[in-house]
Amino acid sequence: MRTQRFCLLVGIFLIALLTVGVVEAAGEVNLMTWGGDFIPRAIIDEFTAETGIRVNYKEVTSNEDMQSLLEANPDQYDLAVVTDYMVDILRQNDMLAVLDKDKMPNYANINPVYHGAYYDPEDQYSIPYAVSISFLLVNPEAVAALGADPITSYHDLWQEELARNVVIIDWSVEIVGLVLKSLGYEYNETDPVKVAEAREKLFALKPNIMRFETNTPEDSLVNGEAVAGFMYSNQAVKGVQARPELQPVFPTEGMPIYIDSWVMSKEAPNKDGAYQFLNFIMRPEIAARIADMTKFTSPNKAAEEYLPEDFKNNPMLNLADEVVENTSFYIGVDKVMDEYEHIYLEFKLR
Amino acid sequence: MKTLKQNLLAVPILVWIGLLVGIPLVFVFVLSFLSRDSLGNIVLQFTLENYQRVFDPIYLRVFRNSLLLAFLTGLVTLLIGYPVAYITAKLPAKKRALSIGLIMLPFWISSLLRTYGWMILLGNAGVINNILLALGLIDRPLSMMYKFSTTLIGTAYMLIPFMVVAIFNSVDKLDRSLLEASYDLGASRSQTFFKITIPLTIPGIAGGFTLVFIPALGLFYVSDLLGGGNTIFLGNLINTQATRGRNRPLAAAFSIIMIAVALIVVSIYGRITKNNKEGLFQ
Amino acid sequence: MSTKTSRFGAFYLSLFFVALYLPVLSVILYSFNASPSTAQWTGLTLSWYRQLFSDRVIGAAFRISMEVAVITSLVSAILGTASAIVAMSVTERMQRAIQGVMILPLLIPEIALGIALLIFANAVRLPLGHFTLVLSHSLFCIPYVYIMVQLRLQEIDRSILESARDLGATKWQTVRTVILPLVAPSIVTASLLSLALSLDDVIISTYMSGPKSTTLPVHIFSMMRVGVTPKVNALCTLILVGMFFIVGLSQLVGKKQHKEAL
Repeated sequence: MRTQRFCLLVGIFLIALLTVGVVEAAGEVNLMTWGGDFIPRAIIDEFTAETGIRVNYKEVTSNEDMQSLLEANPDQYDLAVVTDYMVDILRQNDMLAVLDKDKMPNYANINPVYHGAYYDPEDQYSIPYAVSISFLLVNPEAVAALGADPITSYHDLWQEELARNVVIIDWSVEIVGLVLKSLGYEYNETDPVKVAEAREKLFALKPNIMRFETNTPEDSLVNGEAVAGFMYSNQAVKGVQARPELQPVFPTEGMPIYIDSWVMSKEAPNKDGAYQFLNFIMRPEIAARIADMTKFTSPNKAAEEYLPEDFKNNPMLNLADEVVENTSFYIGVDKVMDEYEHIYLEFKLR
Repeated sequence: MKTLKQNLLAVPILVWIGLLVGIPLVFVFVLSFLSRDSLGNIVLQFTLENYQRVFDPIYLRVFRNSLLLAFLTGLVTLLIGYPVAYITAKLPAKKRALSIGLIMLPFWISSLLRTYGWMILLGNAGVINNILLALGLIDRPLSMMYKFSTTLIGTAYMLIPFMVVAIFNSVDKLDRSLLEASYDLGASRSQTFFKITIPLTIPGIAGGFTLVFIPALGLFYVSDLLGGGNTIFLGNLINTQATRGRNRPLAAAFSIIMIAVALIVVSIYGRITKNNKEGLFQ
Repeated sequence: MSTKTSRFGAFYLSLFFVALYLPVLSVILYSFNASPSTAQWTGLTLSWYRQLFSDRVIGAAFRISMEVAVITSLVSAILGTASAIVAMSVTERMQRAIQGVMILPLLIPEIALGIALLIFANAVRLPLGHFTLVLSHSLFCIPYVYIMVQLRLQEIDRSILESARDLGATKWQTVRTVILPLVAPSIVTASLLSLALSLDDVIISTYMSGPKSTTLPVHIFSMMRVGVTPKVNALCTLILVGMFFIVGLSQLVGKKQHKEAL
């Protein structure tokens, strides 16, 4: 008796919930990407005010989560911002819609430098949104105080004087990549001889590593527990803001570049709304404001004149041509992932 | 006929949880035998490779680390939590409820933030270092972060309420007349405590240990943040392989091993409490 | 208890609570930090609280989290208690089956459960949202309710139940008038625990939430890429203050109940 009653009550409750979840308004765009203000809410609100289209923002913590969610429910999402390599995977898995540029006149604002990247050779599936690179953030005075030579390249991180004073991004492909570059090789090298060489050199770096941190490595330089760090540009920008004596160092051996890009689900329920949204955020003044708020380099050429002075004068955000020329993508990650993960694990457990 | 009717009532709950957890469990098990294509997509091709890789020496070290962390977490929470539970159980009803309430309250704050709280406390420019520096007790910040022990502190902190609640239930049920009989027979307080109280609360201790040990095997962001990535545990490994490592079959194989370890712990617990005819899972 | 022990007891307990609340106090302290980073203290500010109140996203995420947590703890309290009571009267084999099933959700790593549930929900065409969140959260909350209620039930003297039956009470009457009042404290504690567990879940919620149901922990974790702002500290400070009120209130209620029970 009582169980039946409980079940009935719970049943009614759950059905009520279910129906609430199913109701769908017409003018909505569902997008998915990193949380916080990766796509500033202020901008989204302006879009809604102008067009009446509501934007739902699903926040996730990794590209792989986005892939899982998109592949499970391709008809629930219109847009997503994923990192370059994930564009490549989703494209090959046939999850993405071919974008109709005619519906987005502002696409012309995108800097042609970013056209034809490996992950989307014909620019059919993606639109670059945020560009970032990784480099070294250094506290020159503290490095000198330790008796080490000034840091200008990855190679300088191996100096004995820097023992337990370096913080690095916690990611195998990135760190093995750093070592490969320091040896003069390319990212995601598969040649066993070169990889073995990189492995040995990586192990030699261990005594200098104080901390592995992906999300707030700049904090270690701000509070003084590290004197040098390898991190993403938006993190380095924050570090310098908090402590102006910190300096970016663009390693001579080369740097990785990441392009977080918009993609549209093949089964997007509201493609028209999605195009309107993409066109909106590619307006020069909007793109400039997004770049300033998120501290990512904008791929929007027309936005440059709207950028504030301090953004334009910041070498970490307004990247010099020779810096950009010295960057490269991590291509073919899946081919090297397992091996690099293993090497990296050995490195961390030393 | 009567027993059938009685058992019928249990069916909805068995279906509810059995289905929702059983199916994912089967799924994880199957996944652990599958392969991937060049894009990292899962393909329906049987392989034992994932299990072969699990027994790689480097991963065995991760297992050892995890077991050590989980065991030490159980031990630390037990040593700290037992007196807390014992004292709380002896409090008058009103204060007792307050004490339990205060133990649960920090749970309401995101565990990520509470972990940040420890970073604020222990960091180089953190609260403790600043106080010690201001008092002139030290002249340069103590390095308290990014160690195994820092991870242990954080993990024990996250899980201690489970230990306290489990032991509290056990102590609360103690038959007071037994303790009084012990005193009457001339036993000292400490004799009574070690000879009567502790043995009688073993089910609570074992239960608390189980409830702490199992989640301690799987936690990952505590060690990422407090351990500075210098130590790797099973939770980190599974999480990395399931996301950025793009190797879900391997993550599934690790999960199956982890579940097996947890089952062993639970069965040891079951053996400990068998004679007591009580406990969390009997 | 002698005054000596209780003095030591009080001292130990206070020490424990200081340690328990130090990290929480740090979180509160840094909600007033002018710098957005926890790496440095640059002065006092109330601006995070101002920003918090103008942030509709964090408010919405908190609301969704609360809705899900409250419903989850209700559902878990009902189902967990019901299973514990049912487990009393089934055959021993069935009892073991229930107990085995109850511990399962605690054994599977969250990420494995999350991904598997996502695929499962997709297979049965269940749209992700509040419903799937409650469904998945109750999975790991029901066991705790079950465990705690079951522990309490074992204390109940079987003779009480038999005398109730002898007095002509139906099964349902016995449950309502004898068993439920006796296990009520455990149900309350377990519900509070469920609420907290649901409010803190991030991994399963990532996979089980749809575009319109981002919960607070998912919001906080997904913020890590662009930086967690002290706005979150400010919100947690407010939650904690609110909770102190609720605990105080439940203290009063508990006191009243206690008197009635006597």
